[in-house]
Amino acid sequence: MSEGLEALRAVLLETPMLAIFLTLVAYLAGARLFVRLGKPSWCPAVLIAAMLLAATLALTGIDYDDYRAGAGWLMLLLGPATVALAVPLYQQLPRIRELWFPVLYTLPPAAMLAALYSVGLAWLLGATPEVLASLAPKSVTAPIAMGITEQLGGVIPLMMGGLLITGVMTTAFVGLLSRWLGIRDERVLGFVLGVNGHVIGTVRAFEYGPTAGAFASLGMSLTGIFSALFLPLAWRLVGL
Amino acid sequence: MSSLYGFLWLVGFLLLGETLVWLFHLPVSPGVVGMLALTLWLMAKGRVSQEIQSASQPLIAILAMLIMPGVVGVFFIVEAFAGQWLIVGMALVLGTLLSVATTLWLMLRFMPKADTDE
Repeated sequence: MSEGLEALRAVLLETPMLAIFLTLVAYLAGARLFVRLGKPSWCPAVLIAAMLLAATLALTGIDYDDYRAGAGWLMLLLGPATVALAVPLYQQLPRIRELWFPVLYTLPPAAMLAALYSVGLAWLLGATPEVLASLAPKSVTAPIAMGITEQLGGVIPLMMGGLLITGVMTTAFVGLLSRWLGIRDERVLGFVLGVNGHVIGTVRAFEYGPTAGAFASLGMSLTGIFSALFLPLAWRLVGL
Repeated sequence: MSSLYGFLWLVGFLLLGETLVWLFHLPVSPGVVGMLALTLWLMAKGRVSQEIQSASQPLIAILAMLIMPGVVGVFFIVEAFAGQWLIVGMALVLGTLLSVATTLWLMLRFMPKADTDE
C-alpha cells in the first residue's frame, strides 16, 4: 500500500467511526448475502458478516486491536440490549408460567451438559487447561461468558470463536433435528435454541416466531445465570 | 422522542444492574441483572410502556451485530492455537450436537403437549 493511503488509514483510525462503519457494512452485507443464499441454516448471517469483516481487515491491513478498540463503542450497546430482552420475556410470561416445571427440570441438566460434553471431549482429546477454560462457557451469552472465561483463566477471542461455532451448530442441528422428528412446538424449539445457542440461537428463534423468541430469551438468560454460578464452582471442585 | 425515553429506562436499569453486581459481588453480568430487574418492574406495573417497547425492539434486532467485533477476533488468533483447532472443532461440534439432542429430549419429556397447533 502506498504511503498516502497508509497515512489516510491512520487518520481514519483515530476515531472509532471507521471501525463502526466497517462493522455496519459487513453486518448489512452479510444479512443481504444470507437472504441471497436462501437463508441456509448451517451458515447464519452473523458468520457471513464476521468472515467479510475479517477479510476486509486483512485486506486493508487494519490491526485487529485497532479495530477492536473502535468497535468497542458499538459493543457498549450490548448492555442496554441485554436489558431490552426483558420486554419479550415479560410479554410471554403467562405462557412461561404455565410451563414453569418443564423449564425448571430441563434447565440445570441442559446447561451443565452443554458445557460438560464439549469440555469433556476436549479434555479426552488432550486440550490444554487454557483451551478447556475457553470452551466451558460456549453456550453462554457473550457478556456473561466474558466474565466467566476471565474467572476460569481462558482466552477471550478463543471463547468468542467457541461461542460462534456453538451458535452456528446449534441453529443447524435444531433445524435438522426438528425437521427429522417433526417438532414444530415453538416453545420447545425456542428454549433449546436459547439454552444451547445463546444470542445466535435467540436471533434464529425470533425468525421462527415471537413465542420461540421469548422462550429462547428465557433459556439464554437462565443458562447465563446458572452457568455463571455453576462453572466457577465446578472448576474449583475439579481443581483446574 | 419516545424511544429516547425508553433508552433512558434501559440504561437506567443497566446501571441498577451494575450497582447490584457491585454491592453483592454477584458473579453475573450487569446486563442480565438489569434484565431481571426490568422484568420484575414490568410485572409490578402490569404492562410495557410504548417508550420501552420502541427502544427495545431495534436493540434486540441488532443483537447479532453487537457481538460481531468479538466474533471476528477468532480469525486473528488462529496461529496462537495451531495444534488445538482440530480438538476445539470436534469438541464443539460433537458437544453441541449432543447437548442440543439432550435438551430437546428433556423438553419433549417434561413439556405438556401444546393445546393448539401453532
